[in-house]
Amino acid sequence: MSSTSQKHKDFVSEPMGDKPVTALSGIGDTLAKRLEEQGFDKASVVLGQFLLLRKDMELFTDWLKDTAGANSRQAGSCALCLKEWCDAFL
Amino acid sequence: MPFVEDPAQLSKSRLKSDLVAHHVALPPAASKKELYVELHLKHIDQSNCADFSSDDEDPVHDVVGEDPENATVLDPSALTDKDLKDLLLKHGVKAGPIVASTRAVYEKKLRKLLQSGGKEELNEAENAVLYSDSDEEEEGDENKEEQEEPEGEQEQTAEALKLNQQRCNKPPQEPENDILKEIFPDTNATPTGIYATPRRPIKGAAQRPIQYAYPKTPVSPTTLERREVERRLVPIYIQILVFFTVVYVLYVISVIVEDGSSVMPLLESLNQWSDSEEGSPALDETQDTHSASGEL
Repeated sequence: MSSTSQKHKDFVSEPMGDKPVTALSGIGDTLAKRLEEQGFDKASVVLGQFLLLRKDMELFTDWLKDTAGANSRQAGSCALCLKEWCDAFL
Repeated sequence: MPFVEDPAQLSKSRLKSDLVAHHVALPPAASKKELYVELHLKHIDQSNCADFSSDDEDPVHDVVGEDPENATVLDPSALTDKDLKDLLLKHGVKAGPIVASTRAVYEKKLRKLLQSGGKEELNEAENAVLYSDSDEEEEGDENKEEQEEPEGEQEQTAEALKLNQQRCNKPPQEPENDILKEIFPDTNATPTGIYATPRRPIKGAAQRPIQYAYPKTPVSPTTLERREVERRLVPIYIQILVFFTVVYVLYVISVIVEDGSSVMPLLESLNQWSDSEEGSPALDETQDTHSASGEL
């Protein structure tokens, strides 16, 4: 995660509104599908989980790995973009 | 401590509430009374009797005394949300709300913490606490065992009961300190008599009088405040010294003011002296400038 992806920049640049989970950096189609199966159908719902974990990136990464089977890079990227979004918009 | 009843004579509901008060996980609702008695003996009387010495042949005690290490490797999934949160806090993790979606994460976290930090962090104090705090987690396994063969354990229960009674009735008049040493045989004696142990798991409930053997009554916040203030105050003899100095100075001033005649000339002479000293160098300077201008 030396440089942030375009997806990351796009997500952090504006309020998330009703964006789908795929808008989250690090979340591709496969992960999005798994998340949706468990009720996390919007990026904001994932944000809710992130906030429930007190914005703890480590815990959130663990959670994403467990729930969606993400790898460390994907989970870390997602956590980072949510963290920065929170810093910007909360 | 002297107030110990025979658990076998208590009602089932009373046993239940005692167990709850001591943070012991209850066995399934349909369990027999013997099971409750056993649990009561194991968890409550043990903490009351406060005898963890290893020379104990009692089989029930051995279960607990044998492997305190295992008690730390507990199963977080058996904890209530609140206990989970408390345990995490004890390991230095401030947990957020524990709800359905976050619980798994926190359980995993706790498991990780217990595995990594558990063995190193154990000190004497925590060891002592093991007997009370983490017993509830052992419960899950023991329940199953006990349910399988409650009949066989019945005799042991009776035995354990007798032993417990003997032990409890033995030292009724001993001083408090000795009892404390019995409870925590490995604890170093501290000068204050206060031991750094985490929270006490036993609460009073079900109209049961609690009889802790506190070495000292805890100090109230006001007393602590007063002590804090006293620590910062100047010592009393310095205060007295300063008082007398001030009185003396005031006395001298009053004497001087009363016969003002003697003071006024003194002041005037002082003024004159300072005037003359200031005046002469000024004259010299003017002379210098005059001479300098003359030379030019």
